Amino acid sequence: MAVCIAVIAKENYPLYIRSVPTENELKFHYTVHTSLDVVDEKISAMGKALVDQRELYLGLLYPTEDYKVYGYVTNSKVKFVMVVDSSNTALRDNEIRSMFRKLHNSYTDIMCNPFYNPGDRIQSRAFDTMVNSMMMQVC
Amino acid sequence: MSRQGGRGTESKKMYWYLPFISPSASLQLMNSELFTLTYGALVTQLCKDYENDDDVNKQLDKMGYNIGVRLIEDFLARSNVGRCHDFRETADVIAKIAFKMYLGITPSITNWSPGGDEFSLILENNPLVDFVELPDNHSTLIYSNLLCGVLRGALEMVQMAVDVKFVQDTLKGDSVTEIRMKFIRRIEDNLPAGEECCPFPFPWRLPMLSFQL
Repeated sequence: MAVCIAVIAKENYPLYIRSVPTENELKFHYTVHTSLDVVDEKISAMGKALVDQRELYLGLLYPTEDYKVYGYVTNSKVKFVMVVDSSNTALRDNEIRSMFRKLHNSYTDIMCNPFYNPGDRIQSRAFDTMVNSMMMQVC
Repeated sequence: MSRQGGRGTESKKMYWYLPFISPSASLQLMNSELFTLTYGALVTQLCKDYENDDDVNKQLDKMGYNIGVRLIEDFLARSNVGRCHDFRETADVIAKIAFKMYLGITPSITNWSPGGDEFSLILENNPLVDFVELPDNHSTLIYSNLLCGVLRGALEMVQMAVDVKFVQDTLKGDSVTEIRMKFIRRIEDNLPAGEECCPFPFPWRLPMLSFQL
């Protein structure tokens, strides 16, 4: 269960960012912004190796004391960043991978919508529903 | 099942009949996504050109009409259906043969009016609208209006004037897509001068779908 999910465009501006609980939104925006540096570092590091073997899932970007940040890059340089609560230790790597795969699938569906212009903010109801299902339920 | 590698296999395939000039290749599968994306590009370009949903709807209907008047010949050549004796048979042929042949779906026929001249086609899934979400500024746009034009044009070529419109649309939040078809009248042929006295059907007329009163 994620606490914050963000979709970042190729030019490094956010296409979609949503966090739950909403009062600390600015902090999550800042966390995602700083994680972009780590993403770029990982991409360039792997780029020196064989490019076709670069995996889409980047893994844990950096842990803070409260949160862990995971990253995923598509081949079109669109980045998905997910912030997860550190106290939730039950989340395994496989689950994070499958969440990113679902995000990627939904993102592809949005791209196929003829009314969506690539580069616009994402305003799709289907995408919102899917992200809500992945966010942590805060009572 | 991972979608990253298998996106093509999971999407629906359309049955694409090749013309009769190559008898060895009778059936080919085409990925429906290119078709869906092409139709989407068409609609969005029309929206940009006209900026008014009603004009776009009219244009889609006109384009559909032009497709329909040509498509009926192809349909009759491939399907070899004979003359339909009433509107119910016409409805069956449209739903079970025509839709299956061209879109790969089989709508169900419901809601017959008491006079037998109106019915509804219920489509559970519409291949034209995969992945589409209507934005709020186009709430009156009838996205699949091309289909209405196609049906109208095709039936006009077989001497039936019909009125086709969408009653429900999944893009607008309904659970199914419903197309209402109403028979208006039979179009009488304009006989060439000098032949009005002949009571028998002319031999050079191909067998057609026509409503016999």
